[in-house]
Amino acid sequence: MNPEHFARLQHSKLEHLTRRHFLAKCSTGLGAMWLAGSAGRAWGASGVLKKDPTNPLAPALPQFAAKAKRIIYLHMAGAPSQHELFDYKPDLLKLNGKECPKEFLEGKQFAFIQGVPKMLGPQYAFQQHGQSRAWVSDRLPHFSSVVDDVCFIKSMHTDQFNHGPAQLLVHTGSQNLGAPSIGAWATYGLGSENQNLPGFIVLTSGGKNPDAGKSVWGSGYLPSVYQGVQCRSEGEPVLYLDDPAGISRDLRRRSLNSLDRLNQKIAEDVGDPETVTRIAQYEMAYRMQIHATDAFDLKQENAATHQLYGTQPGKESFANNCLLARRLAERGVRYIQLFHWGWDSHGASASEALNKGFNERCKEVDQPMTALLKDLKQRGLLEDTLVVWGGEFGRTPMLENRGGNDNPFVGRDHNPGALTIWMAGGGVKPGISYGETDPIGYEAITNKVSVHDLHATMMQLMGFDHEKLTYPSQGVPQRLTNITKPGSQIVKGILA
Amino acid sequence: MFRPFFTLLPFAFIVSARADEPVEFNRDIRPILTKHCTACHGGVKEAGGISFIYREKALGKGKSGEYAIVPGKPAESDMLRRIRSSDPDEVMPKPKHGPPLPAAEIALIERWIGQGAEWQNHWAFVAPKESAPAIISDETWPTAPFDRFILHQLDRENLKPSPEASPSEWLRRVSFDLTGLPPSPEDLAAYQEALKNDLAAARAGVVDRLLALPRFGERWAAVWLDLARYSDTYGFEKDPNRDIWPFRDWVIRAFNSDMPYDQFTIEQLAGDLLPNATADQRLATAFHRNSQTNTEGGTDDEEFRVAAVIDRSNTTWTTWQATTFGCAQCHSHPYDPITHDEFYQFTAFFNSTADYDQDDDFPRMKVTADPAQTAEASALEGKMKTLREQLNQAGQDLAKTTEDWKSFTPDVFAPSHGKLAISANGVIQSEGNLPKGNIHKVSGPAAAFSALRLRILPDHDDPKKWPERGSLVTQFQVNLIDPAGGVTPVAMQEVFADRLGDVRDPAPGGNVGGFPKLDGPRWFVFVPVKSVSPVAGARLEISMTQKGETAGSQATPVRKFAIEFSTRPEWLSLVHDPQRRAAWKSRDEMSQRHKAINGTMVPIMVERPARETRVFARGNRLSKENVVSPGVPELLANNNNKDGMTRLDMARWIASPENPLTARVMVNRLWGELFGTGIVLTAEDFGTSGTPPSHPELLDHLALRFENHFKWSVKSMLREIVLSSTYRQSHRASKDLVEKDPANRLLARGPRNRLSAEMVRDQALAVAGLLSPKMHGPPVFPPQPAGVWSSVYNGAKWKDSKGEDRYRRGIYTYSKRTSGFPGFLTFDAPSRDLCSARRLVSNTPLQALVTLNDPAHIEAAQSFAKRMRDHSANLPAQLAFGVLLATQQAASPAMIDELVSLHADCVSDYQKNPADSAKLAETPNAAALVLVANTMLNLDSALTR
Repeated sequence: MNPEHFARLQHSKLEHLTRRHFLAKCSTGLGAMWLAGSAGRAWGASGVLKKDPTNPLAPALPQFAAKAKRIIYLHMAGAPSQHELFDYKPDLLKLNGKECPKEFLEGKQFAFIQGVPKMLGPQYAFQQHGQSRAWVSDRLPHFSSVVDDVCFIKSMHTDQFNHGPAQLLVHTGSQNLGAPSIGAWATYGLGSENQNLPGFIVLTSGGKNPDAGKSVWGSGYLPSVYQGVQCRSEGEPVLYLDDPAGISRDLRRRSLNSLDRLNQKIAEDVGDPETVTRIAQYEMAYRMQIHATDAFDLKQENAATHQLYGTQPGKESFANNCLLARRLAERGVRYIQLFHWGWDSHGASASEALNKGFNERCKEVDQPMTALLKDLKQRGLLEDTLVVWGGEFGRTPMLENRGGNDNPFVGRDHNPGALTIWMAGGGVKPGISYGETDPIGYEAITNKVSVHDLHATMMQLMGFDHEKLTYPSQGVPQRLTNITKPGSQIVKGILA
Repeated sequence: MFRPFFTLLPFAFIVSARADEPVEFNRDIRPILTKHCTACHGGVKEAGGISFIYREKALGKGKSGEYAIVPGKPAESDMLRRIRSSDPDEVMPKPKHGPPLPAAEIALIERWIGQGAEWQNHWAFVAPKESAPAIISDETWPTAPFDRFILHQLDRENLKPSPEASPSEWLRRVSFDLTGLPPSPEDLAAYQEALKNDLAAARAGVVDRLLALPRFGERWAAVWLDLARYSDTYGFEKDPNRDIWPFRDWVIRAFNSDMPYDQFTIEQLAGDLLPNATADQRLATAFHRNSQTNTEGGTDDEEFRVAAVIDRSNTTWTTWQATTFGCAQCHSHPYDPITHDEFYQFTAFFNSTADYDQDDDFPRMKVTADPAQTAEASALEGKMKTLREQLNQAGQDLAKTTEDWKSFTPDVFAPSHGKLAISANGVIQSEGNLPKGNIHKVSGPAAAFSALRLRILPDHDDPKKWPERGSLVTQFQVNLIDPAGGVTPVAMQEVFADRLGDVRDPAPGGNVGGFPKLDGPRWFVFVPVKSVSPVAGARLEISMTQKGETAGSQATPVRKFAIEFSTRPEWLSLVHDPQRRAAWKSRDEMSQRHKAINGTMVPIMVERPARETRVFARGNRLSKENVVSPGVPELLANNNNKDGMTRLDMARWIASPENPLTARVMVNRLWGELFGTGIVLTAEDFGTSGTPPSHPELLDHLALRFENHFKWSVKSMLREIVLSSTYRQSHRASKDLVEKDPANRLLARGPRNRLSAEMVRDQALAVAGLLSPKMHGPPVFPPQPAGVWSSVYNGAKWKDSKGEDRYRRGIYTYSKRTSGFPGFLTFDAPSRDLCSARRLVSNTPLQALVTLNDPAHIEAAQSFAKRMRDHSANLPAQLAFGVLLATQQAASPAMIDELVSLHADCVSDYQKNPADSAKLAETPNAAALVLVANTMLNLDSALTR
């Protein structure tokens, strides 16, 4: 089918469908009930979000003006060491090799350290960069050039020290399974601005899923339509997006035309509003096949862009995912979540050691994440896109001695007491460093930021009072900032 | 896109009191309190000292010194004064908490107080009662007794029931609802034939045939497995394989044999505790071993053991009582009268099982490959356990009367790691790094003994700090050193323990202590082969090797211990008693026989000596408070609480007729599966925060009928429902009806539900003639896209099943928690991480992508097309046959025209693109029919039932 003919067919099809849809919905359908009941306002007096049941992903307004229209979350799974990247501690260098003082160990539970470990100084050289004089180690030469656009939070802390529960806490506000992820809350609250793509897209690199599995982008007790859709950088980006072997686009269109006509007849005969909705979903699926394929086609980017990101189309990489994140952000995807794997630098094996695999991980992310910030900025997208980078906990200032024995490589154990994350764009102050850890980077001490504080702040930037975006489950209005742990604070010091 | 999960008219069916009627607390007042008041004046917060959960608290004096409610005296009730106040500092609710109450609600509260402020327990916590069948407009309409309740409600709403569904519509509906599969054209023809004789008999014949099919158990097990959070993996990070599929088969068999629901309940919750428990009854308890096990490195086994115990409590409450019990983990329930302490009392029922978040899922039973050996294997397991306990009991009895224990006081300490030091009371304490494999070696002047007691002590004396890190001696070696330096090992005959049931079974050579955790002081008595009588100047050397390591790679060294000797000769005579030796021998023989039986090891519930259960302050297991004993919440206890209540007593309490929730919750579930929505919409929450029943009297009637008339028979209950007039209505909805009742809660029309995730797949295979009828056995791996599985630290690969296992029913598909089967997740199947009481039905573009493009669905379409071609040489006849297979409907001429024209266009396209054509079938004609088949399977009427 030639493109012109296709476009004409599309147009007449849509017109037909839209008219039918409108008639069906607004005379008898659920949409009419919804409009009549809510007078077009999504926010009722009680603060409970009402959704058009026929289109739960329709774009919706937040509670107040949002600074961030979309979020790109770069999760470094395994938890990168703050001591080797951002949280520079000359005092720790002085303690290098000395036995850890007892008071640092009392009442502490570690994943692997036992008995009395030795202190471990920063393994790489640090320098200050930019006008903001931000400390960054020599492992991130590219990133050092954009620190003036970045807000570091050095005083993050968590209460989970195993990967699975800690990742769940970071992404769902609960260390237990069953709560919705931030992206699910975002698409529940705001809907999606692009009805031809999923509103919440997940991209992984490093060949592994997160430790906590797909629950970190799950919808928990929210309806399943709000869950993240894992897209793949190899093969078809969305499962079953490609037309099957032997069925061309033209034939698919032709068969959908018949299907739509037959289903319209069924809708007339049976009167089930779900049938009308289903017709629309099939059309959306067809459009998604075109738009998602287009969005994921990195070959459309020019050489300069590929050079900026260090991308190679067709390969599964963090670089490709960063470039995809920008393309998806441009297309109005609400929440883009990237996972990069392999940051668990215990020193038990070469791939997970500060003196080995950690270097590789740094190289894999340094250029692409820098490129993402630069690219968003030059396209004017950074203003209303919030980028968040971080792991699920920090790492100890001690050298890991697994089970009391020395490890073959240099590494650090899990440390929930302090981690560094950074944010950029979308309403956060650029070029600042917020909060501090103690002189050895072990515990956050000033301006401490909990995971729930971070969530409350992200909600604020998206235009929501974190206590008021709720969903009834288990008998109570649940929210991202876990109701069982009240007292989450918005981190006002980082708001632009 | 959705079934309305937000109820549009939550209280539409509740008729409020008219001015002359008495106010009814549950109907009129409780909803007002729940909506406006209990967030602050409830179980969590009792602002101002007032709570509206319990009457005595509501009638008490608030912190202000005023009574909120004075029965009979609205004018003296502070509550009303505050609600009506215009002072922003006084008015309730506070302006920042919510809008003021509408005048009508205030008037109701005033009348209620004036009438004496009568309180009622929430409807769900009161026993169901049969109400007189209602007066109805058409006595000829009902078939089942319950139809009267539906018609009565329709009369009140001025609605008429819909006409009877066509035979094909009802047959499709009932076939899917009972068996999860579409009827065949032969089934339809036979039914239409039978209808000519006797309508009622024809329908009953169909239902009885469907209920007797083995497919019935497969369809209904899918519902139960969501509640059981059944999965073929452990969950969490590594998410390794778990062999628990025999439990899935147990559920299928239980449904197929129509096991009464009370028995079904008791066996799953406490089958292991039934007298002379059979293999099947023990296997049933795998229900609660579907909780997750965390094998991630560095995790604390106690943390995840406790998480599993809490999950078992919460799952029990959601599954059988539809009560949000988990709320009370951190504080008293915010809306329902369940206290914080009661949560832990109930949790105590599950706190005494032997499982401990172990990598091997200990403890397990053997489910034999040959069913003929099942009873033998299970009996052996039972006998070995009893015998082992008897053998140990003799030592425990003797230990009670042994009073001559004397401390061994070593004077040389030679530990492989750290330091050892002895204190005046003979307790030896270690310090420093104690990695896996470390050895505590001590020696001192030898003394004569016939028994050696090793006491292993916790670091802390305060039981609230227990359990602590494990303390396990993997190898216990005693050497006698004569004055010349000659070393003679002291051979041990036996070891007795203060209790059995631990993860490691103590043996004369070691495995003594607390593993993976030390939950208090422990003792072990080693008895040598012959009494030890050292010569003067001899020394005794004891080495304790500690190679234990938890799943989380934590070493488990002993930190504090003491060694004592007894010279009582009874210890030696005990271990050398010939009868005892024979008993040991028979145990070894049983163990050999058990090992030789081929089978699968399946995790089950096994009781061990009770653990102390303490209340966790704010739900945090690290801050323990008072000790509680097992019990059920007072609210529902009906005098069932008694001292020493066991898990079996609890199971019997749930399954007892006095329990007001069990039958209601189950009939609501059956109803929800058939009609799309339960009588209580929130099938997981019957509490005050759930939605009220659309037909309260109907729910009570069905609950009582299920329990009494049908004696808990699920098949009988379903039979009555699917043969009812309500269920047999046509699903056709007029515009007026859709407008009046969009979600069909009133049932003025028949149900029309989307197929479930499993049904979508099973139907495609059935219509294609590919579906394998093979039942039971290990899960299968039908094709899924490459790269979907990639868990960390888990090399498991999805290898496509071969042969008929590719085409098994969905229930047999491998269920991996961290990476569910994509086609199922898209159609709203839960991940099975946690108990799930209801699938919210969505309608999304991703579903269209699955049924249009998934290679499995294309394969089905190819086979389906071939079936059409085999049926007839004539295209319209082929198409009519296809529509019949996929929807059971006779295709209209217009429909056939549409499909013929689609086929023609496809043929002409495939003639031009032979390469494409060849990918689907041998000829362009056949390829075109594949695409038509694919289209048919995507018809709205093929995706609904």
